Amino acid sequence: MTRAVRTALVWSLVSLGVVTTARAHHSFAAAFDMNKPVSVQGTIVEIRLENPHSWFFVDVKDPNTGKVERWGFEAGTPSGMVRNGFKPGIIKKGVEVTIKGFHAKDPSQNMGMLRELILADGTAYGMFGSQQGPAAQ
Amino acid sequence: MKGRLIAVVVFLACVYAVASLTPGRFRAEARQGGSGSAAAPAPAPTAPGPVPRMADGHPDLTGVWWGGADVGAARGRGGARGGGRGAAGGARGTPPPTFMSLYKPEFAAKAKSLSDKDDPTLRCRPTAFGTLNVSMYDVGAVGQIISTPKMMVILTETYHGFRLVPTDGRAHPDDVPPAYRGDSIGHWEGDIFVVDTKNFTDNTWMSAEGRVSPHSDQLHIVERYRRVDANTLEIEATVEDPVVLTGPWTVPKQTLVLAPFDRIMSLNCSGIETQALMDAAAKQEKK
Repeated sequence: MTRAVRTALVWSLVSLGVVTTARAHHSFAAAFDMNKPVSVQGTIVEIRLENPHSWFFVDVKDPNTGKVERWGFEAGTPSGMVRNGFKPGIIKKGVEVTIKGFHAKDPSQNMGMLRELILADGTAYGMFGSQQGPAAQ
Repeated sequence: MKGRLIAVVVFLACVYAVASLTPGRFRAEARQGGSGSAAAPAPAPTAPGPVPRMADGHPDLTGVWWGGADVGAARGRGGARGGGRGAAGGARGTPPPTFMSLYKPEFAAKAKSLSDKDDPTLRCRPTAFGTLNVSMYDVGAVGQIISTPKMMVILTETYHGFRLVPTDGRAHPDDVPPAYRGDSIGHWEGDIFVVDTKNFTDNTWMSAEGRVSPHSDQLHIVERYRRVDANTLEIEATVEDPVVLTGPWTVPKQTLVLAPFDRIMSLNCSGIETQALMDAAAKQEKK
């Protein structure tokens, strides 16, 4: 291996560090299982556009037993969501939604990482806001 | 020549691989960026205007500064334009030292034992410096400066931090308690504004290079702000901590641009769920 190749490899690893640190201040993978997708349908009961990350809470009713369970989904930073097109107040309490994401590593928790939030009319939002704009295509 | 060609190919291949293998959260964030102002089509480029100046003739640093986009944007960047980790310079072809490489052995071991679940920002504590190597950002991607001849006000959006930086030549006070963001004083060296910050608490983290990175109460940061033109701000910084580091860390120079809005947001921090989930996940993985 030539010195130039070694140098390139080292700088590539430096780049790895830059990429992995320049997006968020903590790892979703530390809390959520990216191999365990989850999807729920329910009613929005609370939205917190707050740091360190935003949360969406929904009540999910079991169609067979009628039992209601509350789920929480972690989304992006509030500043990132707003600047990427998510308008506070656009989704109200009581709205029916489908949320797709990844389950918490702790299986006892009804919590997940939000990958997609879909309204009844099909409008979809991602972790960082609107999926309808040209930048999201 | 052949070696250089191979080196370029290896570098590009590795960068591509890095981008492809970055954890799912990052790809999701990039894919799901929206249509807000940060992602709007860029206007036709125009030559930046001259450096605005205050009444006393010094550059006016006033403005909201960022790297061109907030975190999560499909386009643009969530940080500043800057070099990689570590100091600028060094022998040709030799990567500069990283912050982590400067730890004394005992603190290197401590830093290595820490992970995301130990991140104090999960409990809404600010950092001493900043995730993207810009102190003004803290753990976000946006900051604001209000510049006056006698006082520089540096505002941080994420975790609502502030620094009031007097420019009248006074020394650091000896009657204020240690703080997460320390105590700052400033002075001008020509057109460069130099900010000297010390008196930090030692119960948070430095956040150098985006990692959980402990520091002592002897942390000392010197930043140099230079407004290059109407739209551009360059920041260089040096970090010293004689208790935990073997030498000073020269932060890669960061180049910020003026954001298309004139005030940062006021954002709450109350998240406790993430910390609990990470703790639970760590226990699960130990089983």
